[in-house]
Amino acid sequence: MPVNTSLADASNALLFSTVILYALAMLSYACDFAFAKQRVIAAVTVPELVAAGAGGPAIATRDAAGDQPAGTGAAETGRWPAGFWLRLAFGLTCLGLVTHVFAILTRGLAEHRVPWGNMYEFIAAFTCMAVLVLVAASVRYRAYYMGLFVLLPVVLALGIDLTLIYTPAGSLVPALQSYWIAIHVTAMIVAIGLFVFGAVVTTLYLLADRSQRRIAAGKPSWSAGILQHLPAPAILDRLSYRSILFGFPVWTFGVIAGAIWADHAWGRYWGWDPKETWSFITWVVYAMFLHARATAGWRGRRAGYIQLAAFACLMFNVIGVNLWITGLHSYAGMS
Amino acid sequence: MTAATGDAKRGPAEDEELTKVTQGTLSPAGENGSELAEANGSGSAGRKSPELAAASRSPLPPASSGPVRGGRLTVLGWLRWGWRQLTSMRTALILLFLLAVASVPGSVLPQEGIDPAAVTQYYVSHPALAPILNRLSLFSVFAAPWFAAIYLLLFASLAGCVLPRTVRLIGSARQRPPRAPRNLARLPMSASYTTDLTPAAALAAAAGVLGRRRFRLDQGDGWVSAEKGYLREVGNLLFHVALLAVLFSVGLGGIFGYKADRLLIVGQGFANTPTALDVFRPGRLVTPGDLQPFSINLLSFSAKYVTSGPQVDEPISYNAWLSYQSQPGAQVQHYLLRVNHPLVVDNVSVYLIGHGYAPVFKVTDGTGKVRWEGPVPFIPVDQTTLTSEGVIKVPDAVPDQLGFAGVFLPTAVDVGGTLQSAFPAALNPRVSLVAFAGNLGMNSGQAQSVYQLNTKGMRELPIAPRPLAAGQSMRLPDGAGTVTYLGYQQWISLAITYDPGQLPALISGFAALAGLILSFLIRRRRVFVRAVSASDGSTEITVGGLARSDAAGGFEAEFTDLTELLRNEHVGRSWQAARTGDGTADQPDDFNSQERGRLAVPAESAVTADDAPASGDYHEAALSREGKRGSDARQHKPG
Repeated sequence: MPVNTSLADASNALLFSTVILYALAMLSYACDFAFAKQRVIAAVTVPELVAAGAGGPAIATRDAAGDQPAGTGAAETGRWPAGFWLRLAFGLTCLGLVTHVFAILTRGLAEHRVPWGNMYEFIAAFTCMAVLVLVAASVRYRAYYMGLFVLLPVVLALGIDLTLIYTPAGSLVPALQSYWIAIHVTAMIVAIGLFVFGAVVTTLYLLADRSQRRIAAGKPSWSAGILQHLPAPAILDRLSYRSILFGFPVWTFGVIAGAIWADHAWGRYWGWDPKETWSFITWVVYAMFLHARATAGWRGRRAGYIQLAAFACLMFNVIGVNLWITGLHSYAGMS
Repeated sequence: MTAATGDAKRGPAEDEELTKVTQGTLSPAGENGSELAEANGSGSAGRKSPELAAASRSPLPPASSGPVRGGRLTVLGWLRWGWRQLTSMRTALILLFLLAVASVPGSVLPQEGIDPAAVTQYYVSHPALAPILNRLSLFSVFAAPWFAAIYLLLFASLAGCVLPRTVRLIGSARQRPPRAPRNLARLPMSASYTTDLTPAAALAAAAGVLGRRRFRLDQGDGWVSAEKGYLREVGNLLFHVALLAVLFSVGLGGIFGYKADRLLIVGQGFANTPTALDVFRPGRLVTPGDLQPFSINLLSFSAKYVTSGPQVDEPISYNAWLSYQSQPGAQVQHYLLRVNHPLVVDNVSVYLIGHGYAPVFKVTDGTGKVRWEGPVPFIPVDQTTLTSEGVIKVPDAVPDQLGFAGVFLPTAVDVGGTLQSAFPAALNPRVSLVAFAGNLGMNSGQAQSVYQLNTKGMRELPIAPRPLAAGQSMRLPDGAGTVTYLGYQQWISLAITYDPGQLPALISGFAALAGLILSFLIRRRRVFVRAVSASDGSTEITVGGLARSDAAGGFEAEFTDLTELLRNEHVGRSWQAARTGDGTADQPDDFNSQERGRLAVPAESAVTADDAPASGDYHEAALSREGKRGSDARQHKPG
């Protein structure tokens, strides 16, 4: 079936609008940091026990059961009910998410297929997932403070995606013509979105932790100014841990689904193709993180570094393997 | 991700010291309390409490402190120490890291098992480096002994961790929950209220509520203790056992399975025997007699490509019509073989993995006899335009053997005087040949590739190569003969795999996933209820809660919910009336979870997230269980 070019053009326009909306949202989040009166639990000023005590219920009491926090009132980690800038920022983020979803939808309709068949579409999809995680975390864990930091890499990635990586709408090569693309690639997109969020939170956690230790040691901390808008490092640590707890099984499922598909398409479920190898490496390093996170002497900063290493492996898999290594997964459309 | 786990951070001599840290984080309060404390940089939660360290040390057998006992080294001590090291979390982390690092060269360097031609190419371009890399097995990383060493050690470490934990899990599933600590207010979570019920009735009601929530119960004088969430450990163990099963499944395929390749020209067929297969890689215990006796014929093949737009040249579809018999004499069946749609016959899968052109040639020699007539598979050198190369060998030609090296262009176009292929479909096929005469060297005893011409004993015939269209001939000089290009056929390459480990691997994979989800979703937690008669005749109820899982949190909500249920049971209607009276809920029977959560914890109620240092009487109860684990403290409990 031929590509519907008007829908494809609409998709491009929508994605472009998305980037602008996200950029404006970022600006508003920054304004909120700069101008909003109300201050939240400041990592650098609250003593250890208070921070941990206040942080505990604020994040941890909301659970799979869907219950709202118990006995936690205004001392939330996010700033809600929010001031003008935060409301604006969150509104813009949600609006951007809507146009983002529609950009992906129209692309799929234009191509009459699942719209993640090349690197351009893949990046558009997992950044959308990352923003979805951001919105979910904002609503559920009141992690509004994450907006600026998550949107920053998202805007950068989408900008590069629209300019350097852009691939016109088209059909799929026979190897990709399988319903498994909807299962395997979707799982990977969901997992990557969660991992992106986790990595951003962990980066902030490491910065906040460092800043807190420096201040405790009486040394200057350049990041204290912006970090005062964030909750205690322990809360960031938990938030990031949760996204990995969610993402890791999804990634595992994605790898298994990929193995089943590989068995259908290439005659073996595992063949150490570069993409397979790197998803294995990514899986192993995230597993290291989960183990380290549960081990005395490794949790905290060390586990955080391991998570960032895992994320680096993931990004190399998503981008590096596509661009520099030839293998069976060379679908990036970047030849 | 069960309770935090100990880890020998330094040498064995320091084990005593480390055990304390270990026990500190294993302590029940540790989950929320010490974890946070540590994250905040104190990192000393375990050492804050001397009585805890003492309690944890006592159950340890003396030998567990390392190989040094009484200043002498014993073989047994060293073995035990070595086993502890192997099964420690630190070792597991290091092995995981090594596994990740060791995989990297497998994705960067060409691999024998994936692309042998690329390895050969690497030898040509890096003649000095390649033999060294080969010695280090870097062209077959995933079959290398050092790679196997890493994963076998990892799985040994894993087994050494999983087995004792399984024993412990069975043990703890048999035991009843520990008795309630004396002071429930010191637990990480607690709440208290008064009721008009007698202590005994209140406790019976509490046991009923907790029992309905499927807690495991124990009761004593004035207390109820309940525990739940054993499935977490079950899931965790399932995950790790399933990983071992995946490894065994892969091994099963390597022993009893086989892989083969076969190039098949349209109109040809073959039977599944080792001699008919181009490449045959049997498992260790596979003999030629084990091959399933099916046969396959290729009736036709078609490939469609995008003809215009940005995706021009890209393939749209490959269709191969096959007829096959599952065994000689069986009914002939047909199958449309496509990418992603393998043919499964007799548990063997047949895949379409490649295709190309086979120009058909007729070669007559100097005596005028036809010495070759038929298709010759050419191999694509450019996947986009399917420009292909191949050779024709005519060993029967007289007086000299003849050989040809050719290029096939599916859609030949003249670009600045040279012919190139512009499109992968055969719209304007042309063949260009270079002719050689002499000795093909096929009798030298050395195996030759059918796709390469050994020109050592041959001379190039002085004739300018010119592109031949179908039906055109090229007369060779000196009366050496004639070669005619008759047309072309297409060929496909088939991958044939039989892997009995496939289904076990799939099941193990999903079992691992199920275990993972189970261990992530469920947390092990304890709830205690104490009822004491107050002086005014009422009964004072204290509820305490303790989650024994990682710091992902989430127990607070359940605890709040449970407290509300208990309170509802104990205080009943009077409290409900009070609640509707305060105007926070208009529909008492249909209030949403949000209100439920808030209402369960009135402002005066004592729900706290207490992460005070590990001390207090509730540890006695916890340690009565934990103490038994002391000797295994350094075993990892990952997940």
